[in-house]
Amino acid sequence: MLTDIFANLAFGLSIAVTPTSLLFLVIGAFVGMIVGLFPGFGPAAGIAVLIPMTLGLEPTVAIIMLAGIYYGSMYGGTITSILINTPGESATVASTLDGYPLAQKGRAGPALVMQAIASFIGGTIGVVLITALAPLLAEFAASFGPSEYFLIITLGLLLLTTMMGDNRFKGLISALIGFAIGTVGVDVMSGQQRYTFGSPELIGGVYFVAVAIGLFGIGELLHCIYNGLHLRPAKKLRLSFKSREFWPTRFDYIESRFTFFRGSIIGFVAGVLPGSGATLGSIIGYSVEKKLARDPENFGKGEMRGLVAPETANNAASAGAMVPLLSLGIPGSGATAVLLGAFMMWGLQPGPLLIVNDPGFVWGLVASMYLGNMILVALSIFAIPLFVKFLDIPYRLVVPVIVLLCVIGAFAIHASIIETWILFMAGVLGFAMKLYGYSPAAIVLALVLGGMAEETFLQSLIISNGTLDVFIERPVSLALLCILIAVVVVPICLALWRARHRMSPSG
Amino acid sequence: MKKWFSLGLVGLSSAYLAYGLRTLDILDFSGRPGAGYFPLIIGGLLLLATAVNAVLDFREARQGEMHPLQLDPATEGTAELMGVDAHGLDGGRRFPRDVLIILALLSGFIFLLPVLGALAAMIVLMLAYLFTFNQAELLTNVLYALALPAFLYWLFSIILNASLPVGPFGF
Repeated sequence: MLTDIFANLAFGLSIAVTPTSLLFLVIGAFVGMIVGLFPGFGPAAGIAVLIPMTLGLEPTVAIIMLAGIYYGSMYGGTITSILINTPGESATVASTLDGYPLAQKGRAGPALVMQAIASFIGGTIGVVLITALAPLLAEFAASFGPSEYFLIITLGLLLLTTMMGDNRFKGLISALIGFAIGTVGVDVMSGQQRYTFGSPELIGGVYFVAVAIGLFGIGELLHCIYNGLHLRPAKKLRLSFKSREFWPTRFDYIESRFTFFRGSIIGFVAGVLPGSGATLGSIIGYSVEKKLARDPENFGKGEMRGLVAPETANNAASAGAMVPLLSLGIPGSGATAVLLGAFMMWGLQPGPLLIVNDPGFVWGLVASMYLGNMILVALSIFAIPLFVKFLDIPYRLVVPVIVLLCVIGAFAIHASIIETWILFMAGVLGFAMKLYGYSPAAIVLALVLGGMAEETFLQSLIISNGTLDVFIERPVSLALLCILIAVVVVPICLALWRARHRMSPSG
Repeated sequence: MKKWFSLGLVGLSSAYLAYGLRTLDILDFSGRPGAGYFPLIIGGLLLLATAVNAVLDFREARQGEMHPLQLDPATEGTAELMGVDAHGLDGGRRFPRDVLIILALLSGFIFLLPVLGALAAMIVLMLAYLFTFNQAELLTNVLYALALPAFLYWLFSIILNASLPVGPFGF
């Protein structure tokens, strides 16, 4: 097994270490850090908006660059969490809890260096675990039939919506909206047009890039403006890595040595599970570290372990989210759903056979993540003063850059003005959804997987002559169905139990 | 507004289901699932879910009117998990008027794209935006409004060879 891991990584490195791949990896990592710096513009938006810029590239190089944006944003997001108490994206919210107090204590430099090291360790452990787990999962999934696939897609979406806590019902509605949008266009089975309203531009369906850019790019932007981010003055910050106070002490490393590994494992597991992802992973990583600490009262007051735990967790989670994506073709978050859409755009067929049919692509991508983490740790430490300068730019001047990139990008892919109007509508929808607790990520996930869900569902029905028996006859299907029912029923039972407990006079 | 958005979703779900029922075949000539089979299931579930959701949101709105200081459960849940004060996570002042201005500028930009061409439309949008939200810096606005569209036009049209809309000026 260990030899397989190294053999796969070595094969991947032979593909990723080319001048072109490395150049676009550095560009992706750099852009990812900038994407992470600006609040409200997360990795999903960053990837979606920049997809049009990869049009002329080879698929592997393009995905290497987009993946660089994906995990680079985790590094960048923490810089603002530590320096100005404003998380660049949701996965770095937990990093503000101790990161900002550390900066207030005059330890911004050590905090930034430790977050870079923590991110590197989390990301690297995550990549090693992908190399070990993804082939095993893909091998197991190779025997899956349409019924298992349909249930996995449903389970993935259900888990994504279940993790939304009290908003899980709205998450479910979001997923159904995504499926509904996915039905627009020609039906593959019968050739009949659906919901095209006679427009030839809709025969090919609603293209996911325009919807993803609208939901994540314009939707997030409008939400930031709604919260007044465009009116806040830029923070003038200066940092120099030449001073001795910039570097962490030996005590910082010794104190955090177990936190690096705990955070990584917690984060990776959270990342593999659809829906939980980096945000929940980082919050759980922080909570577990605080619970295990002998001095929990120091957490929240500038404790280095309180920064290291969420940082290792969110980077390991972003690696973990690649496991279901590469081995099953099922993304677990908005950002990986956009990546999956990009896979499809370049003609790759996601699923368990991806590792067998396109090993160069899969291992090249995984190896590039390892290299990307090395580039990012160097960028995070030695280019921090440069990235801090980006914070001098007021958000109101960033707004037109995002708007132009979104609109021109949506138009450029198919030279279609209809797609820019779809982008506009998706932007309005994305803003309203974010405002009222719905899930734009679930829409994109369902839109990307909608065709596959319908196809596998109908194939299952045809196999079992129109009955639903196929879902209980096959052992894996039955097991998945039981998990699915548990995911739906257990939270309802728990809610009822809690309500009863609250109403009882003794409780 | 939340309850009206929920109600709007009910309306759209009904329209989706009704249009599907009217225009699509649920079963094909051999009795197998047709083009409308999956949309019918999705439409039915969507209508049911959005209807229940609207009822819940209307009920929540009524409770909100009775208890105006109560925070939403999601904010309370996140705060509990992170061990911080829930009121600290709840936002401050909102700017719906600015959102409407951006939407108007955005729709104007998309409308102007095929009319003026990509470069000119981008410059018009930039000038309109900057003179609305960054009024104090006249020279910066003009330079920025020319430099950014020029850079994006060069990137997309020349480097990436993407076909951008061409206006009466030939670009």
